[in-house]
Amino acid sequence: MSDKELTQRSAWETVLASLKKRSLWMLHYCTGCGAVELPPTMTSRFDMERFGIMPMVTPRQADILLITGYLSVKTLKRVILIYEQMQAPKYVVGFGSCTINGGMYWNSYATMKSLDRYLPVELYLAGCMPRPEAIISGFNSLIDRIDRGEANSWKDYYENYEFYRKNQEHTFGDIETHRSIADDAQYYGFVEVTK
Amino acid sequence: MSGTYTVPTGRPEAARGEKRSASAIVAAIAELGGESGFAVKAPRRVEGRVEAAALHGFAAALRMRVGFEHLSAISCVDWLADGEFELVYHFWSYRDNCLVSAHVRIPRDTATMATLTDLWQPASFFERDIHEMFGVEFLGNEDLEKYILTDWKGPPPMRKDFVSRDFAHDHFTYKNYEPSWDEMIDGGYYSGGQNGGQA
Amino acid sequence: MSDIVTINDGKAIMPGANAPENREYNMFIGPNHPGIEGNFALKLSIEGDIIQKAKTEAGFLHRGFEKLMEERLFIQNIAIVCRICVPDPDPNEENYARAIEAIGGIEVPRRAQFIRVLVLELSRIASHLFTFGGHAGTIGLYTMPNWSISDRDRVLDLFEELTGGRVYHIFNMPGGVRRDLPDGFKNRVRDVMDYVESRLSEYDDLFFNNKILLNRAVGTGILPVDKAIAWGATGPNLRAAGFAHDVRKDDPYEVYEELEFDVPTAADSDAYSRLIVRRREIAESIRIVRQVLDKIPEGPVWNKQPNPLKWRVPAGDAYVRTESSKGEYAYYMVSDGGVRPYRVHVRGASVTHGVHILENMLAGARIEDASQIMFSLDACPPEVDR
Repeated sequence: MSDKELTQRSAWETVLASLKKRSLWMLHYCTGCGAVELPPTMTSRFDMERFGIMPMVTPRQADILLITGYLSVKTLKRVILIYEQMQAPKYVVGFGSCTINGGMYWNSYATMKSLDRYLPVELYLAGCMPRPEAIISGFNSLIDRIDRGEANSWKDYYENYEFYRKNQEHTFGDIETHRSIADDAQYYGFVEVTK
Repeated sequence: MSGTYTVPTGRPEAARGEKRSASAIVAAIAELGGESGFAVKAPRRVEGRVEAAALHGFAAALRMRVGFEHLSAISCVDWLADGEFELVYHFWSYRDNCLVSAHVRIPRDTATMATLTDLWQPASFFERDIHEMFGVEFLGNEDLEKYILTDWKGPPPMRKDFVSRDFAHDHFTYKNYEPSWDEMIDGGYYSGGQNGGQA
Repeated sequence: MSDIVTINDGKAIMPGANAPENREYNMFIGPNHPGIEGNFALKLSIEGDIIQKAKTEAGFLHRGFEKLMEERLFIQNIAIVCRICVPDPDPNEENYARAIEAIGGIEVPRRAQFIRVLVLELSRIASHLFTFGGHAGTIGLYTMPNWSISDRDRVLDLFEELTGGRVYHIFNMPGGVRRDLPDGFKNRVRDVMDYVESRLSEYDDLFFNNKILLNRAVGTGILPVDKAIAWGATGPNLRAAGFAHDVRKDDPYEVYEELEFDVPTAADSDAYSRLIVRRREIAESIRIVRQVLDKIPEGPVWNKQPNPLKWRVPAGDAYVRTESSKGEYAYYMVSDGGVRPYRVHVRGASVTHGVHILENMLAGARIEDASQIMFSLDACPPEVDR
């Protein structure tokens, strides 16, 4: 988004962004070993809730999909189904080196290597595994990006669905998803995607 | 539920009694008849070879007459050069605090084995795992359906002729930082040494 | 049933509303489920709110560790083995190092053996504290996770000082450990042990004597001792059935033979017994850690091994067992004399607890107890998947 567009945000969008940034609910899906650093982040020592971030058990009410580490192909399929159920705006956070380029599982036959080929990633947290401080710092920069109206990577899924779909089919063969992305794209106002 | 077979839940008589030494266990195994190749390998470790056809009878006798109640694990090793799979059954005795490892060799192309699920419930997991990862058939095990690799379409991945590195290379897109030091290693991946060289 | 939903002329007002012959329906728990035990799914068939049949589904965390190890050097594998069990990683490092030592006949300096015991026991304390938080979460007691997981962080801070890592330590090397204890570390371990010990009685007030826990956990998920043995239960789950088997006592490794500790058992073998056995084990672990600090001798911590790139382990095989916080943890390693392991088989403690013991115990349980039973077994999915 250009600077001009940013300055031309309506007052309502600014208010909306400041509301959104302080009520982020994170889908409670422990996809990999990074999940072990989430309980310390959520409980009293690091206390994620002071930033308005809370775990949420259902995808339909969650804003953040935190991919905690490597994704086996079996999990990736579930993650894609979950992502498509989530309501926009939604933010995928890749957690740990293995979501970026396979990490130490680069030669594993069972894990996917780069998450951004399957889902639009808003933010990566590097490290194996990132510490709670890194999680909080990452979420803070997500909050800043939402506030500035820059956290728009989710739109890419509806605008460039063919790219993601091609990669998903390359990994799974013909994958059956439950939502029509074309309908969702129309709902969110991306008219360039046709039925 | 793990199949319909009935697993004995009572504890065998032989599981109670005085603690025996490892050499006494070797003698007790020799008394079962047929198996004389067992020897003490290390403290609390006894190992030996068993013919594939005799394994089920040996395991049953080990449980009922010698008192080994705990099936600790079943391991499988792919000896590609010999054309054989080696199944290693690890039994633990709570009475004697001793482990008996029974090594069984089966041909690699017709890999079948009698199941132990009628003697030990834990065998169901290990056998299903070996079936999935190596492709060994366990006759009599009713629960060999896919478990971990439900979406997997390739060959059993733990076989030595399957190279994970090449599979990942062909099926996933990632920035490949080929480590150059790997070529310098004697026996390394690119020098045709062990475990490598198939590429 | 049918006359309740029929009115005029005996016609059903809603087709299909009559009670069917078979009232079973299916329910899926997971893999997206709230809880710290990880990515694991249960397929339940349910009648009323009683589970008739349960089937586990694993493999969501499968990374193919056994294959990866065959394609990496002995030295490289030290960094990946700890990832196999996330809450309690050190038994993996211990097993991996000890398997190489057993095959290669490598001596470990006595000081290193004491440090290994220290690390293993601290890891056990951390893992049990983690489990308490998770178990409390399944029955809605959300204060306990805040307490026990924050207290666990004190142990993680010790790990960070000693090894550089909070969760994964990559600390046990074949032939010893990577670093000696830092200056003043012993005193800081003592302080944390005093703190954790003082907290145990507060946990009793908050959690272990809590009426909600007693109502929910006592009598839930009973695993009789003969079934526990036949189904291959190990570790705290077996000891909660009254069977005092502990690998540290019965198949001793490192310097456990020289240390005094009891093996806590319980009689009832329900969810509460398994929890209380773990609580008592923390007290025993604190006792072991204090003895280690008192008895640890001076000396080197690592027997130098050859150049890692040319490090060959002689041909041979070894089966090594460790008592992890979840039960018997074993590695079967085969070397053919090369620079890479020929085969490493990982026998996680949860391959029995998390699979068929869980399936068998869930049959007949109520839906709301399913996650509690799973937590009471402390099953760790990454151990099952590898």
